[in-house]
Amino acid sequence: MTGPLLDVLAGRVNRADALVKLDDTLTLAISPDGDTRVSASQTRISHLRVMREGRIGYASCTTDSPEELAEQALAAATSGARLELHLPMPAPLPEVAIRAPQAAAADVAALDPLARALLERLRRSARRVEVWAERSTGSVHLGNTRGVLTGYDVTLAGAGAVVESIGAGYAPPCRVHTSGTALPGWPDLEALAAEVDRRLDPPLLRPVRLLAPTMPVCLAPRAVASFLSPLRAALVGLEAVLGSYSLRGRLGEVLFDQKFSLTDDPLAPGRPGSRPIDDDGVVARRVPLIERGRLVGFLADLEVGARAGVPSTGHAWRRAGAGSRVGFTNLRVVPGIETRATLLTMMGRGLLVEDLEWGSGSNPIRGTLNVRVPWTYLVENGSVRGRLEGIRLSGNVFTALTRLGAVGGDATWVGAACVPSLLVEGLTVVQEA
Amino acid sequence: MKERIQDAVERSRAGYSELRLRRIWSSTVLVRGREVDSATSTGETGGLARCCSPGTGWGAVGFSGTAHLEGHLLRAHELSLAGASRQPLRLAPIPIRQIESAPSPLPADDPRELALSTKRERAERLAAVLLDSDRRLATGRIIVRDEVVETWLATSEGTWIHDLRTRVSVSALAVAEQEGSSERALGSIGGAPGWPAGEAAEALLRSVASRAVERLHAAPVRPGRYPVILDPAAAGALMHRAVAHFARPALPGADPDVLPLGTQLGPEILTVGDDPTAPGLLAGSPYDDEGAVSRRCAIIQNGVVLGHLHSRETAGATGQAPTGHARAGTLGGVPYPRATNTFLAPGKGTLDDLLEGLPVGIYLADVLACDASEAGVALRGAAARMIRDGRLAEPVKGVKLAGELLELLGRVDAVAGDFQWDRAAARCRDGAAGLVPVTTGAPHLRLAPVEIGSEVS
Repeated sequence: MTGPLLDVLAGRVNRADALVKLDDTLTLAISPDGDTRVSASQTRISHLRVMREGRIGYASCTTDSPEELAEQALAAATSGARLELHLPMPAPLPEVAIRAPQAAAADVAALDPLARALLERLRRSARRVEVWAERSTGSVHLGNTRGVLTGYDVTLAGAGAVVESIGAGYAPPCRVHTSGTALPGWPDLEALAAEVDRRLDPPLLRPVRLLAPTMPVCLAPRAVASFLSPLRAALVGLEAVLGSYSLRGRLGEVLFDQKFSLTDDPLAPGRPGSRPIDDDGVVARRVPLIERGRLVGFLADLEVGARAGVPSTGHAWRRAGAGSRVGFTNLRVVPGIETRATLLTMMGRGLLVEDLEWGSGSNPIRGTLNVRVPWTYLVENGSVRGRLEGIRLSGNVFTALTRLGAVGGDATWVGAACVPSLLVEGLTVVQEA
Repeated sequence: MKERIQDAVERSRAGYSELRLRRIWSSTVLVRGREVDSATSTGETGGLARCCSPGTGWGAVGFSGTAHLEGHLLRAHELSLAGASRQPLRLAPIPIRQIESAPSPLPADDPRELALSTKRERAERLAAVLLDSDRRLATGRIIVRDEVVETWLATSEGTWIHDLRTRVSVSALAVAEQEGSSERALGSIGGAPGWPAGEAAEALLRSVASRAVERLHAAPVRPGRYPVILDPAAAGALMHRAVAHFARPALPGADPDVLPLGTQLGPEILTVGDDPTAPGLLAGSPYDDEGAVSRRCAIIQNGVVLGHLHSRETAGATGQAPTGHARAGTLGGVPYPRATNTFLAPGKGTLDDLLEGLPVGIYLADVLACDASEAGVALRGAAARMIRDGRLAEPVKGVKLAGELLELLGRVDAVAGDFQWDRAAARCRDGAAGLVPVTTGAPHLRLAPVEIGSEVS
């Protein structure tokens, strides 16, 4: 599929690579009123990158016209960056489970029972429930002028819900989802429902006078996945390696608590970010980033690698209109050994935060955190007493990760992140009037 | 193309069929420091086939390319039969029109006619203007982007629209450094059609540069309760996020709460609306992505919620008339009610009138981010100054305004008459509904003392 794109460039460029992505997605959603909506999308996008006379040009299009795309890329190369890019040579791809035939074949009749099973499990009086189930099947085709000509097929399926508790304070809707290569099974749906119950069932507490603004906070996996956003940004791309981001120039230093280790893992079987090769044609591999608190790596693609003088780690993602960008595949935080119950007991009197959303007042680049945390629960002597409203968390993510009370053993997949609970000690808790 | 699209729609057996095809040409030049970082050229074509019939739900198929239009409609019809609607799906009626508004021949300022190398030279020149404006500027980034969007829309009711429009924007980031501290500032300007006037782009760059430098010397704001004056850009952003977002019936995955009609939200001086027909703005259009005529819509009149922004479906479900606000956020996306050009209507007087008599307060200019939910609004200022003895005084940084939605709008105690549209190239992302260009317009606005926090630790 990428062959014709490269053929039309023969003799006209020094080097080139091509990428074609096809996707067919089917989504079924059931609204709180019981209406079922079904939608589908079928997309194809072709990317071409050419290197001519020392400059790079990008072009992409959704139509099947190699000549048109080639002309656009050549025109872009007259104005592109001056950069010497070394395209990879063919190499064997690692085995990674990224396609489930059952998900690829799923139609409306397969998605409908999934969504309804989740709906039935979540439905209760005083709840407003919206559910959805989705499957996507696609393929990725890569080629370059050094002989790479390969590709892979992939599926992604998931289910999720938005649940609102009517008359229980001002909590926003509780959003949960699960996704992976295969269609979610009953245990996956049951885990979602259990999380919703855990978040909605505790009573809303009357305003509680907190003892100390620096009481310990336990972040549940869904909250941790969001909490780590500044760290993710600080570990990828040119800004991280050479720019003004927080971790620049600190490779090899112990910057975080020794209980904290983090890896990017494109080879995790059946997960949303898994793939055998990146969009530059570089073979995917696991990349340790933080080992026992020590910064040991950054993620790079070919371009960042060329600019910064480091090898690509195989983390290129190509997108229309913006060339290549560097991104995580599957983020994994190495779990500890403490159970959730132990973490809550260790806190004594503290707060459990089930979910966290970045918003205004926070700075994901500097790691400054100042957010409302509506899904917060008061914990005393290892037991959840009830949900609290009007709580804000402030502090700095990078600083907080230098002092972890404990790392949970409950590593859970939240989208493309596998993260455990974290017991964090350096955040300030503010109770609003 | 017209024949192919109309043939496909005519052959559809659904009760209602709609086919939208969109082609987007775009080019982007990114300059980092003084050197070009990337030049990209993109051509995307795709659209949406959508069907419903009596007793069925919607069936929708997003697609790329221009092939199999009839097949996409057939699949959309099949999917609509697989869905189910408990309430009959009612589309509010609209006048049926055939509009051919794509200019022919193409306008002289069509950015596709301009060589990418020329755009690169312009972008590099703008980068030089930015970096040469102050010796404390360590680096910067300029993104110059242009886009030509051609749309074809046909429905089984007979609507036909063919439209072509151009959007051009310049975005800038400046990083100032001095004695180990580093500060950033952002800004953008957009226009349609044609290239933003050189002077306007250069004025933007000087403003971004001076804000970054000013922040080097700004002290963190001292948290507390202050009267606050918002400049037109900040006031407009607040109205867009805190009012217009809650003036739409529920979208999948976003803002399930709607301001009930008749709710008293603020004082009499507060009048907020949305006007897709305002001329020359990025988000404006005489018709929406369902072919409905766009019209100026009052959301809050004298402090009371008066109206909502509608698609044909939400209008039909609530017995209202469509307002022409159905917008698709992606090439193959379903159109949902979205804000376009949200405005706060002008009151009387000037900024000086609002400042007069304030012993101390905060002047907040522009916003970095504004978030809102039913429970509250949080607004982070891009630039701010203290107000002392009725005058703008020293710059401060880290200003964060947060409060309950009703409480905050209830604190509005003065609206100036110096209305202006913000020319920033702003875009609004809203859950699953995608990204659309938006514009805001407002005069200066004053809030009676509200809680101000600091994000600088």
